[in-house]
Amino acid sequence: MSTLDMTSTHSRPVPHPKRSLITRLHMGTGVVVGIIFAALAYYALKSSLLTYTDKVADPLTPHTDNIVLLGSMFAWSIGFLVGIGAFIGPWRWMIGKDLTDEEILYMAGDGQGIKRYFKYCTDHKVVGIQYLVGVMTLLGVGGTMAMMIRTNLARPGGHFVTATVYNSLVGLHGITMIIAMIIVATGPFGNYIMPIMIGAYDMAFPRLNALSWWVLFTAIPVLCSAWFLGGIPTGWTAYAPLSVQAGPGMNAFVATIIIFAVSTAVAGMNITTTVVAMRTKGMKWNRVPIFVIGSTISVALAIPAFPTFMLAMVQTGLDRTFNTGFFDANMGGSGWLYANLFWIMGHPEVYVILIPGVAALMEIVPVFVRKPLFSYNAAIMGFAGIAGLSVLVWAHHMYIAGWAPSLNGPFMVTTEMISIPTGLLFLVLIGTLWRGKPWMKLPMLSVFAFIWDFLIGGITGIYLSDVPADGYLHGSMYVTAHFHFTLMGAALTGAIGGLAYWYPKMTGRMLNERAGYISFWFVQIGFNVLFLGMFMAGAEGQPRRVMDYAAVFAHSNMISTIGAYGVGIGMIILLWAVIHSWTKGTIAPMNPWGAKTLEWTVPYPVPLTNFDELPVITSDPYGYGKGK
Amino acid sequence: MSHDTEFHVHHDSDAAVGRRERLGVRLLIVADGAFLFGMIFSYFYLRNLNAGGNWLPKGVKHYSATSAWLVAIPFVIAAITHRAGLRSKQARNLTSVVTLLALLVGGFIQWDQLAHMPFLLKDDGGVVSFNGAYASNWALIAGSGIFHYFLSAFIALGILIRNRTTNLPEELDLWRQRTAQSWFTWCAIAAILTGITLSII
Repeated sequence: MSTLDMTSTHSRPVPHPKRSLITRLHMGTGVVVGIIFAALAYYALKSSLLTYTDKVADPLTPHTDNIVLLGSMFAWSIGFLVGIGAFIGPWRWMIGKDLTDEEILYMAGDGQGIKRYFKYCTDHKVVGIQYLVGVMTLLGVGGTMAMMIRTNLARPGGHFVTATVYNSLVGLHGITMIIAMIIVATGPFGNYIMPIMIGAYDMAFPRLNALSWWVLFTAIPVLCSAWFLGGIPTGWTAYAPLSVQAGPGMNAFVATIIIFAVSTAVAGMNITTTVVAMRTKGMKWNRVPIFVIGSTISVALAIPAFPTFMLAMVQTGLDRTFNTGFFDANMGGSGWLYANLFWIMGHPEVYVILIPGVAALMEIVPVFVRKPLFSYNAAIMGFAGIAGLSVLVWAHHMYIAGWAPSLNGPFMVTTEMISIPTGLLFLVLIGTLWRGKPWMKLPMLSVFAFIWDFLIGGITGIYLSDVPADGYLHGSMYVTAHFHFTLMGAALTGAIGGLAYWYPKMTGRMLNERAGYISFWFVQIGFNVLFLGMFMAGAEGQPRRVMDYAAVFAHSNMISTIGAYGVGIGMIILLWAVIHSWTKGTIAPMNPWGAKTLEWTVPYPVPLTNFDELPVITSDPYGYGKGK
Repeated sequence: MSHDTEFHVHHDSDAAVGRRERLGVRLLIVADGAFLFGMIFSYFYLRNLNAGGNWLPKGVKHYSATSAWLVAIPFVIAAITHRAGLRSKQARNLTSVVTLLALLVGGFIQWDQLAHMPFLLKDDGGVVSFNGAYASNWALIAGSGIFHYFLSAFIALGILIRNRTTNLPEELDLWRQRTAQSWFTWCAIAAILTGITLSII
């Protein structure tokens, strides 16, 4: 078998396939070709539509404008992928000239140093780092927008931003954070760590792995373009027919979701296939680390869920461009159709976000209390139960909309039932902690934070699942506080715990612990102040998504804004810690936490194929307290 | 070739890689199936709702059920001929030509139907809109049919070229053709399902 040099992966001579186009393409060529494609599409569509409208002596209508904009956005995405070399592999397959072994190795980025992060690199570790940087960027942008929203809401009558900008801020903050949360754990850790955890030498589809990242990358400038096109006035849910009637900025939202759904499908398929088909010898299903199980269930849930959101966006796009009537009652359409399609995806998506974060924390707890994971089977049943029930609860978002009132009861029951598998997750975490002596390092703090935050998020959700209570609370700040407690309190807290835990493996250095502690307390105290204040405002009756409010809500809003600044300061400190530690942190030992999973058996930098020889598994990954 | 290259590129057997690729494609089919489910849901939801009697307004022409099945037949032929090619190595060159031709013909028919939709409405300003929810749903389903035809034709063309090319990994290629069979079969099933859907006007 192979004799990979384990210490000099990055210093080997670069394999250079002669006369191969692959060696000349990178992010820069992608951007150039993407812009050329977008410009060509813009002028071609505009001139052809103008020619058409000239015939009928009519200027461009909003619909034709939308055709030009949407066409240009998709052309940018396709052009970028062409320019970075994403289609070379399929093209070469089609013409019967497969990529040579040297070309495949070149695409894996072997020996190319930092340049590989800007290429169509197929190494899963490179893709993991690309996702990590992407997530941090999205969180930074989305967080900045949140701070602007809270600044405006600090006092009644706030005019920090105009009403139009405020509306756009709410929508763009929402969709930016939702995208960031969906990839926050499965993106960086699912790509970098997970293949090593299961003893695989790579992902099942390395080229598609790179594709999933770069497709997502093309969506980021498209989403940002919404700012320059008048923003999105609909909130992240983009309810029709408001989204159909909205201005040109809405095209950016539609294109972003369609592009993102493609990325998600490809990533979900890749992760699921890798785990099902590439586990190393001896890694039976009951020996698979719980983070891998959680991530796989999450992405497998996304595979059937996200296409319905994509469909809703395709229909919105068609209504906006070609005058179809999916959501226009005058043309036989219905806004309820949108609501159904959106929430058929929308509620499973909550668990797509949540499960990997919880699974990361379950991975952490046994390591830091030196006890086996309490009831591994209960954890799997919890994840599977949540995933199964999550597709049967979507209409609880539509109690008040008046769609099928006779189904409110059944949907209330299924929604409340989901607290049972969720309770299993708490049981597993608390059972593992029970009578343990936790090693209170940075990753472990997130576990306790999660238990507190998600308990509040979960319990307040039960009130919202209840039809009569929802009648009062629906559309209020209470709902906003609830879903932030679940998404941020579980997924982001889990991801930060995961970052602190796997940071040494991903960067070769320890995360600055003091800065991490300071950040943790700022974020957690600020978070609780922020959203407990918001619960108060919501319970008192303050509606969400409004830029001004009655004086009676002034105190609770001021409390929330103060909390938001705490979160902001904490996140800036965390960002500083991540960047500073990456370059100047203490060099990490191979296994700083003494963990038993496979990723800690490989050195940093992790070799291209992860393992010199693929390992053979003979025991479960949480055999603490059972001897060596 | 260096030892490293050998390890990175040829780690697993062709059969292992082939099985993995087939699983991946089947998972993508699940995603595509969810999209199809959404389209069929939209069709019947709006049909049953018939908001303002505008599912199919009076006097608006529609495509016949036959036209929907006319688009489905080439997919069925492509799936059958590709399967026949998998069973007989001698016939593979011929079947891959027939598969590609069937897909091109089907794609052309679908495109032609899209180009001559009978239910478009043009106002005084020359703005075109779809007359009724049936028309909107029909166009969406036809558009997804075009996407299926385009992707399938790309795959069929690749198979046709590769069947005539020497020095390719034979076992892995055979696995990939089996994987393509999963896709072609799915496209045929999807076309039949949309055929049934569009027959209920």
